[in-house]
Amino acid sequence: MTRTISALLLSTALALPATAEEFTWAVTTDPQTMDPHAVNSAPVLGFLNNVYEGLVRRGKDMSVEPALATSWEPIGDGEGWRFALRQGVTFQDGAEFNADDVIFSYERASNEASDTRSWFAPVKEVVKVDDFTVDFLTNAPNPIFPGSIANWMIMDSGWAEANNAALPDKENGNFATLNANGTGAFRVTAREPGLRTVLQPHEGWWGEAEHNITKATLQPIQNPATALAALLSGDVDFINPVPIQDVARLQDNPDVKVIQGIEARVIMLGFPHEAEALKFSAETTDANPFADVRVRQAVAHAVNVPAILQTIMRGNAEEVSQLVSPAMNGYSASLAARPAHDPEKAKALLAEAGYADGFSFGLKCPNNRYLNDEAVCQAVTGMLAQVGITATLDAMPVQNYWPELRADNYDMYLLGWSPGTFDAEHPIRFLASTPNEEKKLGSWNFGGYSNARVDELLPMIQSEIDQGKRQSMIDEAHKILQDEMAYVPLYVQPLVWGARSNIDLTQRPDNFFILRWVTVN
Amino acid sequence: MALTSNVHDKGRWERFRDSDFFFAFKRSPVALVSFTIVCILVFSAVFAPWIAPTNPFNPASLNLMDGFTPPMEPNAFTGTRFLMGTDDQGRDVFSTILYGMRVSLFVGASAVLFAMVLGIVLGLVSGYFGGWTETIIMRIADVQLTFPSILVAMLIFGIAKGFTPVEYRDQMAIWVLILAIGLSDWVQFARVVRGTTLVEKKKDYVAAALLIGRRPWAIMIKHILPNALSPVLVIATISLALAIIAEATLSFLGVGAPPTQPSLGTLIRIGQGFLFSGEWWILFFPACTLLVLALSVNLLGDWLRDALNPRLR
Repeated sequence: MTRTISALLLSTALALPATAEEFTWAVTTDPQTMDPHAVNSAPVLGFLNNVYEGLVRRGKDMSVEPALATSWEPIGDGEGWRFALRQGVTFQDGAEFNADDVIFSYERASNEASDTRSWFAPVKEVVKVDDFTVDFLTNAPNPIFPGSIANWMIMDSGWAEANNAALPDKENGNFATLNANGTGAFRVTAREPGLRTVLQPHEGWWGEAEHNITKATLQPIQNPATALAALLSGDVDFINPVPIQDVARLQDNPDVKVIQGIEARVIMLGFPHEAEALKFSAETTDANPFADVRVRQAVAHAVNVPAILQTIMRGNAEEVSQLVSPAMNGYSASLAARPAHDPEKAKALLAEAGYADGFSFGLKCPNNRYLNDEAVCQAVTGMLAQVGITATLDAMPVQNYWPELRADNYDMYLLGWSPGTFDAEHPIRFLASTPNEEKKLGSWNFGGYSNARVDELLPMIQSEIDQGKRQSMIDEAHKILQDEMAYVPLYVQPLVWGARSNIDLTQRPDNFFILRWVTVN
Repeated sequence: MALTSNVHDKGRWERFRDSDFFFAFKRSPVALVSFTIVCILVFSAVFAPWIAPTNPFNPASLNLMDGFTPPMEPNAFTGTRFLMGTDDQGRDVFSTILYGMRVSLFVGASAVLFAMVLGIVLGLVSGYFGGWTETIIMRIADVQLTFPSILVAMLIFGIAKGFTPVEYRDQMAIWVLILAIGLSDWVQFARVVRGTTLVEKKKDYVAAALLIGRRPWAIMIKHILPNALSPVLVIATISLALAIIAEATLSFLGVGAPPTQPSLGTLIRIGQGFLFSGEWWILFFPACTLLVLALSVNLLGDWLRDALNPRLR
């Protein structure tokens, strides 16, 4: 009898190290799709980085490191890049990874049906050299190309074709919207949109696991206060973001920890540059005041950014003057001054533009995408009203927000942009280039801002190898964008994560939560 | 003087003053206090634009730097003091409550009025005509009673919202809310009125009215309905408290009054986000107002029931 008990105890003791390390985390926005090429947005790409992999990936300090490619080198005199692929990699369904999957994923991700199309604007052609070598030929020398495709994820061609998902379907969805099959460290074992998504380690992963997770569950909790309560009670192990107003209180709680950093994301106001008339105005129905640069400058002078940072952001964010934050490569230090808060000047500019009596318009805003986004929009509405232009604020969940912007249903909108490449070229390509389907440019330039010189500068910036010359070109582009007030950059959003104190993790500045760096103690 | 006043015919007011009802009212501290509170709250809600120190919904009048000022303390940047503090946008909480109470009371009262009219009509019809009409109406009422009214209201609200174009949603929200709460609340009125109708329609005076050729509608409204008015009044008062709470619940859940026209429930929802961070007043004062308002209306309704229905005493 005693022997049985001791044997039982022994076996229990032996079984202990294998205890399931379950991990649950909460986010505000559920990734709207599992398809890595359907939606180019941080909640989707950030989550899928745990499931899918690209040829290269970013490390803890955002440096570019090998993933599905083991090495890469420029071809000739800047004609393109040659990638040597990793051998012996299997997808989560067991299929082998090779060059055909890379070609397939290129065609899929650069297709018109894909939201990631613009990543491949510099690419002329992709050539399979052999089963484990692929050449990317570029239109012009492109020194930053490998880093620019870190979020381009490789999908198995056989799996996609067998499941009728050879192309992404943004609108209606297809098999790849609900299922995933990557080469990453985790595979999706259950997906209930809006409720929970369960991940389990991919046993056949090529890499060395740093984590000790056996099961991870993503739970969208829209209300930040509810998410915080869930963290405090231990229902979830990690939340992103922590409501700014609760940071101070959380820091005093020994059960949880706050991980803070400066994010790469710049929050800005956008305008309908191309629209002929305002859509939501009570009286100005035949003109578009925002087409006038003086009106845009007036908006910039009317918004009191320091006040927003002081109250709504509680001193946890920094103001910014351009489309990238100071931490990014290519930031123009010479153009660091923001338009000062000056309501009188704003009124004068409006009067000069012929709107001395102001006008009314519609401001669109997400209410679950950026930190305190709706509160910031409310504050902006108040500040604009003080110089005589009255906005009707329409705040909505992000799922409805992007379609609304794509349908041009706004007179002004709030946008946050985080350059996936950590380089100033990225927002110029996405937000400031004249939208061009064919060249895959300006795909998030909702307002259709267009400047011939900026369009001319972009390919030069992309292909310039000399850092000094490149910086002066970026400076020139930033100067134009500032002078024309193409957007009104407001501030750099802070990164605030909260975790239970037994969780070890790494915060990457692009706000991507990488599960394979998590340890549950 | 006293003698003459005893001789001449009593006016309406005097008859009321001498009635048992008014006597009971004077003698009941609960009724006096709750009636006074309801009067004060209704008065301040109706006259909010003149009473409130600021108009919190005029964005031009807000100063963001006033944000998060604790009650009665000077703001760190602007030095301004606010009776109940300010919220994240620098809005005076006291003013938002006055304006919010307007929305709450308007929605509550309109919803009850709507439910009352609907319930009375359906109750009279089903009680008077009987047969299939009665069966159908009362079975619908039975089915609806098995669902919690907040659920019915959410369902109606969701459907109605689906049919409203996006750009009118905010303007329509209040009316949809009234419709949703009203539709979820008519059953009680219908049942009471039907019960009275069933009793009264067999009485001689109804037969007499029929004989002289009065139309059914005239009989229902002029002869039968007055008998049901006291219980209807009691139910209406208690329903008002419930309707105010239902509206607050819906708004708290984010499906009611929009932030551009916040009711007390919307204010509580907004304030809830700041509870952990210690800005208690943004939630506390609207919540207290809602509590006091609903409690006084409810106590008044209870007292009314006792006063108008001596059998219950």
